[in-house]
Amino acid sequence: MADDHAHISALFSVLASVLPLITFAAILFFAKKGKGSILALCNISISFLLSVLLFFWVWNKGEIHAQLDWFAVGDIRFTAGVLLNNLSVLMMVLISGIALLVHIYSLQYMKNDEHLNRYWAYLGLFCFSMLSLVIADNLLLVYMFWELVGFSSYLLIGFWFTRDTATLANKKAFIVNRIGDLGFLTGLMILFTQFKTLDIVQLFGTKGLIVKSEIVNGLWQTGVGEVPAVWLTVAGIALFFGAAAKSAQFPLHTWLPDAMEGPTSVSSLIHAATMVAAGVFLIARVYPIFDNTALTVITIVGTFTAFMAATIALVQYDIKKLLAFSTISQLGFMMVAMGTGAVSAGIFHLATHAFFKCLLFLAAGAVIHELHHAKGKYLLDFDVQDIRNMGGLKKYMQVTFYTMLVASMALAGLPFTSGFLSKDAILVHAFEWSDSKSGVLKFVPYVALITSWLTAFYIFRLIFMVFFKEIRLNNKFGLSISVNEAPKVMVLPLIILACFCLFPLFSLDPFSAGNSWLFTGLNSETQPLDNSLHLLIPVPVTAGSLIVIFIAYKRFANRARPETEPNSGLEKFLYNQWYFNSFYKAAAVNPITFISNLTHKFDNAVIDGIVNLIGRVGVIFAGISALVDRFIVDGLVNGAGILAKRIGSFTRHLQTGRVQHYLLTMLLVVLTFVIVKYFSGAI
Amino acid sequence: MIPLSHFIVISAVLFCIGLYAVLTKRNTIMVLIGIEFMINAAVLNFVSVGKYDKMNNSGQIFALFAIVLAAAGVAVALAIILNVYKYYHTIDPTKFDNLRD
Repeated sequence: MADDHAHISALFSVLASVLPLITFAAILFFAKKGKGSILALCNISISFLLSVLLFFWVWNKGEIHAQLDWFAVGDIRFTAGVLLNNLSVLMMVLISGIALLVHIYSLQYMKNDEHLNRYWAYLGLFCFSMLSLVIADNLLLVYMFWELVGFSSYLLIGFWFTRDTATLANKKAFIVNRIGDLGFLTGLMILFTQFKTLDIVQLFGTKGLIVKSEIVNGLWQTGVGEVPAVWLTVAGIALFFGAAAKSAQFPLHTWLPDAMEGPTSVSSLIHAATMVAAGVFLIARVYPIFDNTALTVITIVGTFTAFMAATIALVQYDIKKLLAFSTISQLGFMMVAMGTGAVSAGIFHLATHAFFKCLLFLAAGAVIHELHHAKGKYLLDFDVQDIRNMGGLKKYMQVTFYTMLVASMALAGLPFTSGFLSKDAILVHAFEWSDSKSGVLKFVPYVALITSWLTAFYIFRLIFMVFFKEIRLNNKFGLSISVNEAPKVMVLPLIILACFCLFPLFSLDPFSAGNSWLFTGLNSETQPLDNSLHLLIPVPVTAGSLIVIFIAYKRFANRARPETEPNSGLEKFLYNQWYFNSFYKAAAVNPITFISNLTHKFDNAVIDGIVNLIGRVGVIFAGISALVDRFIVDGLVNGAGILAKRIGSFTRHLQTGRVQHYLLTMLLVVLTFVIVKYFSGAI
Repeated sequence: MIPLSHFIVISAVLFCIGLYAVLTKRNTIMVLIGIEFMINAAVLNFVSVGKYDKMNNSGQIFALFAIVLAAAGVAVALAIILNVYKYYHTIDPTKFDNLRD
């Protein structure tokens, strides 16, 4: 009975992830231009229903692990299968749910795109790879889907491939992700060398090989073999490096802001809610591998990324770029949670963030969509993503405004929102964790605290600039422009998501994450939250947030003068994203292009030169042999022919047919004999 | 007594005249006459060197045979010429050259 249940669950999970693949294949091969919406929507809905069903079957009821033989290399057998535990079913519901909402939203948002079928197909591929990624039970499978996720992200960023910026952005995303994949692969190779298996349960289970392995005398000993202990650290950091590329952590974060070239719905699903969370998910999956050093690295990188991205977001004007940096910052928060051992808090933040960041992007998409309409209606020319052109939209787009406000409050971590619960949990845990640390690590929670204030500031700067005061375009063009509310199909997902941004979905107690069902479900390993800290921390967090929101209100909501380009040194530094792009261009891209040019020239001059020289020598030899052939070989052959011909034509002249000539010839022959005989004497 | 060399020279001259006639004349009859000249040069030689065989006179006898054979040859040759004339309506030896290549 239990076995049947496991089998059915496993089958359902596979079905849920394969349905979007069917969408992909069917639309790619059979759909006409601009079709396929219904199929895509049906499949993702069924996927979502199956995921919910599985969620209720599996959550807190023990994990389900089913596998088949995949292939064998020598004595080592590889298995492929599904592993359903609390983490994976949570991710499944999250992914398919948000994907469903984004699908509904896209019905309207992408309606007029002529390549709509391609859009649905790519989305299907993405959903398939992402769902498979979270249920796969083997790291090799995870790696495969990891690559597929990256590939579908690449396709979707470059969806409008006629734009140069989009193709540049998807190339960048792809290359940066490849660099990270190198880390992932290194981690896999170390694990495989050490344990001869990549099965997640065998490796990372509660009685898994990693838990059993121990470090003795500087050697990392397992049942299978032993290597120097440093490899444990290296494996951890390598896997984190892979996760950092997907989750846009420093130093591999530069691709995410550029990825905003894709359609906004895609940014919302992939580059805010789900795919970028894959790194965090991976870290949670392989958590036992990380030793103290690796965890410290994760914490520091996460803290730095969170802070850096938040400061950059302070001065951005492109609404999507701003949200992208916000995403990077929040992912940094999740990494901090992972690094400090608060895995469940990190995943909790992943879940809450997925909802409110998805909502922020979809709302931003609605604003962009409507401004685009206005642009077409009034025949104006302006950047629809620049918040300096917005303002006053509250009057026209009420639902969008209120839903976005809720999401912003969640992002800022104000009470009664889901963000408050998760961010609070992370901060409290970080403070607890830093108690036992010294040096730089003491600053981690404080930096995180400052970052959360910065978060409140930049997101409300966005809200005030977009929705308050008057439409700035009126001043710019001297018109009175009116904007419509987004269509119902787009508004519906916003409302649903806004509901998910409030506390009741996650915890009945609005001030404590400790009793949240999600938290307790994932909290099997970490210790419960310290109550005294838990009471103390939220006060300064919330108070500080409210103060900076008030400052933002003063500064931006009633601002009369139009925003200009950044001018002060610090602003420029932040606006240019800490000059990381320029730095990478100078440090990596330019040298590589320089070396490429050099090798290209070397190739052209030396290699091609040698090849051409060999070619030319060949031609010369060929010429010589042609001459030999023509004059000597052909000469001999032709000469023989010509000789025969000459002899023939000479002798045929003798055959005149005249009797007297024959007589003369006879006479001459006889005479010749006579003369020869006369002169040769004795013969 | 006339020395032998005179006969030999006469015979050689006759032979050459005959040869010339055979090779150059545009009339087959004249060619035939040239052949007779050469035969008679040979007969003259037989007769003149016949003085070295006074016992059997084999030179003179050979000459008689040669004259008879020449007469027979001329008869045959004339018959051939007649036939040639019938066929080609000419007896110019340069005109019948069917053996040409």
